[in-house]
Amino acid sequence: MTGAGFEFFQQIINGLAVGAVYALIALGYTMVYGIIELINFAHGEIYMMGAYGGIIILAALMALGLPLGLALSFALLGTLLLTGLYGVATERLAYRPLRGASRLAPLISALGMSIFFQQYVLLSQGARDKIFPVELSSGGFSAGGVKVSYIQAAILLVATLLMVGLTLFVGKTRVGRAMRATAQDPVMASLSGVPVNGVIALTFFIGSSLAAVAGFMIAMYYGKVNYLVGYMAGLKAFVAAVLGGIGNIPGAMAGGLVLGVVESLAAGYIGGEYKDVVAFGILIAVLIVRPEGLLGTRLPEKV
Amino acid sequence: MDYLRRIAAIVAASLVIAGMSSCGPGRHVVRVAVIGPMTGEQAKQGKDMADGARLAVEEWNAKGGILGKRIELLVGDDAQDPKQANSLANKMWTMGVVLVVGHYNSSCTIPASEIYNLRHMVMITPASTNPKVTDRGYKTLFRVCGRDDQQGLVAAQYVVRFMPGAKVTVLHDKTTYGQGLADEFMANYEKLSAKKVVYYGAIVKEDQDYSAVLTSLKPLDPDLLYFGGLYPQAGLLVRQMRQLGLKAILMAGDGTYDPEFIRIAGANNAEGSLLTFMPDQEKIPGAQAVIASYRKRFGEVGPYSLYSYEAMNIGLSGIAKAGALDGLKAAAAIHSSSFETVFGPISFDAKGDVLDSPYVVWRVESGRLVQIPYK
Amino acid sequence: MARRLAAFSKNGRFAAPASALFFGLLALPFMGLLGAFVVSATVLLFRWAALYGLLERRPRMPDFLARARGHVSKLPPAVKGTAPMALLSILVALAFVLDPYTLDVATTAGIYALLALGLNIVVGMAGLLVLGFAAFYGVGAYTYAILNTHYGLGFWTCLPIGGALAALFGLLLGLPTLRLRGDYLAIVTLGFGEITRITLNNWDSVTNGPNGILGVAPPSVFGFSFDHPRHYFLLALALVSLSVFLLKRLDKSRVGRAWVAMREDETAAEAMGIPTLRLKLLAFSMAAFWGGVAGVFFAGKQLFVSPESFNFLESVMVLCMVVLGGMGSVPGAVLGAVLLSFLPEVLRGVDQYRLLAFGLAMVLMMRYRPSGIWPEAHRALEAKEARNG
Repeated sequence: MTGAGFEFFQQIINGLAVGAVYALIALGYTMVYGIIELINFAHGEIYMMGAYGGIIILAALMALGLPLGLALSFALLGTLLLTGLYGVATERLAYRPLRGASRLAPLISALGMSIFFQQYVLLSQGARDKIFPVELSSGGFSAGGVKVSYIQAAILLVATLLMVGLTLFVGKTRVGRAMRATAQDPVMASLSGVPVNGVIALTFFIGSSLAAVAGFMIAMYYGKVNYLVGYMAGLKAFVAAVLGGIGNIPGAMAGGLVLGVVESLAAGYIGGEYKDVVAFGILIAVLIVRPEGLLGTRLPEKV
Repeated sequence: MDYLRRIAAIVAASLVIAGMSSCGPGRHVVRVAVIGPMTGEQAKQGKDMADGARLAVEEWNAKGGILGKRIELLVGDDAQDPKQANSLANKMWTMGVVLVVGHYNSSCTIPASEIYNLRHMVMITPASTNPKVTDRGYKTLFRVCGRDDQQGLVAAQYVVRFMPGAKVTVLHDKTTYGQGLADEFMANYEKLSAKKVVYYGAIVKEDQDYSAVLTSLKPLDPDLLYFGGLYPQAGLLVRQMRQLGLKAILMAGDGTYDPEFIRIAGANNAEGSLLTFMPDQEKIPGAQAVIASYRKRFGEVGPYSLYSYEAMNIGLSGIAKAGALDGLKAAAAIHSSSFETVFGPISFDAKGDVLDSPYVVWRVESGRLVQIPYK
Repeated sequence: MARRLAAFSKNGRFAAPASALFFGLLALPFMGLLGAFVVSATVLLFRWAALYGLLERRPRMPDFLARARGHVSKLPPAVKGTAPMALLSILVALAFVLDPYTLDVATTAGIYALLALGLNIVVGMAGLLVLGFAAFYGVGAYTYAILNTHYGLGFWTCLPIGGALAALFGLLLGLPTLRLRGDYLAIVTLGFGEITRITLNNWDSVTNGPNGILGVAPPSVFGFSFDHPRHYFLLALALVSLSVFLLKRLDKSRVGRAWVAMREDETAAEAMGIPTLRLKLLAFSMAAFWGGVAGVFFAGKQLFVSPESFNFLESVMVLCMVVLGGMGSVPGAVLGAVLLSFLPEVLRGVDQYRLLAFGLAMVLMMRYRPSGIWPEAHRALEAKEARNG
């Protein structure tokens, strides 16, 4: 393959891997926004804590002498559970008491939680990078010079499975119907016997565990994590959610993938130092031109 | 009036509380300071600096202090933030400090040194390598480490001599240190080899994924990637190069001298990576006594511990030679003398830099950083 | 008491230990066994204390302020009029008493007070959450740094220019985005703040990139150039006093009242014929103006600017000051700025817990005292009405 062609396709692959992670985080934003109309600023930190939790649990399991495959799966499961519960606790302590308060109050509370979590991890785990305890193979598939590493392939696969699973769960199950009902009108839903608080807690749990999966895979992919990564990743995922139409689950996936690819192309063809400008530029442009996002439908504002 | 009195009380109380910690220097102590990043991801480097300076001060005090007074060491945390560095410099002035060992990051040292120059305080940096630190012609600034132009030169010479015909690419992290170093390397390399580097670009330091930039390098099939930046980013770059199937060797500067670099990159990936740093302290015979007492007192010796130790020694000797707590006189004394240090004799040029370039080349060999015989 | 004990045995016997266990488990991987135990014990104690009704009397710390306010309103106008002047003279006198370091910190507090006063216009008075306020601050600071080092313009010329440029920036950003709903607006301003910081860092030919701009001249008066923290403190005092004076008048003006109406119910305000879009733009550009002025002052004090000084954390810090002081309250903004600027000095040694406490404080304030420690008059009234039922 020619140099230019190779570069372009390789950038798309790089972008899709990063974009799949954005998409997983974006799902949490979009589900929470869909159901209680709150931008959960702390969601980026939840993702970061998912990565830390995974590394800590994995290190502990390996110290116990579990075989690698088993340790990896249990660590993923462990951090998924732990981080999901962190999400539920955040909702219970910082957002639920503020339901019905002014619009600014939960936003500021979310900002506070985000700072709190960042400092909590900094103080308990230190400022230096946390290194993934296993050195995974850097091999991969190769076609015409374009290389897809095993980890990239795994990220894409896991993300796709989770997204499909989530869509089916929300669309086809009883619980999913309760979630949609709560999103449309919490009062009516509760009158029809939907346990609204439980549904909201479950939404936070699912969104946070998806972020934990993203965090765990990213820690595996980059080999390290730092207490600061949540801020930027959270922002980017939010951009992805907005891009796809916030509150819209397929939109979040599409938005994540598109953002990842656009960023990759921008970094490759414009320059690495400008890729964040491009990402935020897209955010502003979308909000101004088409606030309902790529896949969203324009809704009349609730009064 | 109740309300007024309360406000006045609140204001006065907070001012008084803040004021208590910052009374002027006592008559019987000489205050000196060490400033670096004591918190955040560079906290370890900051602690190394503080410990080195502390060891020197303790030795001086054991010998009876300076100018007949005891020396008191203040430790300042600039948190690698230029603004805090600047305000700490002001604070040290108001506390009567005439000698500062610091800072770590060039981006902090440069703005803070404006204050040191204005207030006639001696500043000796053990770690900031950006040429601008001393190039502004200020009389009271010194550094005991090298300069990025020396470092860039050594790296360029190495590449020209041992990797002739190599295709060279350059990246930096868009910081004062990283961009400055990358530019010095590039200028020296292009002059010495009469060839152009085939790629020059930047990454975002806060980012974790550099595969996009590395992908645009790949079609150029580079043999060497010179990186101006710090070890976490350098480690990720090496790792992601290997994932993309890029074989280029990474070369970097003193900011990458940290065992974490190899851990983040993965030992196999990092093998063969090069960096420029000061000589191996374990191999300097004159340093072993100091290293031993440092270990006994603080634990493992960091890369900048001894530089900080000697910076403090040189500063205090300058004050002792000047015979007065006067920054200008002490600076003049430092300029006009030569100092016996663990690294050998040190004297300063008119700008305040050490006369000989201290840099040597290190390489990752079997997962460890090893000094290789090249200067 | 008996009823409480009964409730305790019925609901609390398991609920309290269960939640203690829950939080202990959450903390375990991050804080280790000992940390998890401490967390569990703390939660258990709090839950039990709550069951026994020990936490029902929530500390209402700023009540004395409300009482003091009552007294003040009863004072003869002559006394009330002289009160601000008296406070100002005390502060001026302090400039000649305090040591230079304290004055330096107080000057920083003054800069933050200017920022908080500005942000308070848009967040507090008009009810629009802005998360990229540091961008305006940066525009002001770079305006002075560039105009001074390249064209030799003085501090006093640049003070209004920096403010005006920042206001223009605010206007340009506001025009397309102000139709957005509150939380979208917050995110757009955040994105704008990031873009500004990245641009300052990357546009080497104008901003000198990450190295920042050195050698900015200090302000001077009649050829006498500032070189002591006292001079800067007095300037900060003057700027903050002038701002408080202006903003208090603004708050009581037609515009201020229209903002309150818009903040409380935008649709109703619009129905009443209030031109909400124009008022939002006004709030935006005025806030940006104050941010720009604070930036010029900052550059004149530091004598150097670099991009890191205008990051997201700086925006959050100023927002914390506004929230702590009481959103919408002019004296509250100043009080918040002064408290948070002096806090690190008072808490030396436990400084690393400062941000943790900030985060927690933001959450707790929103839950227990959303109106801040010096609530704005309307909100104080609302809170009182709510208490009286």
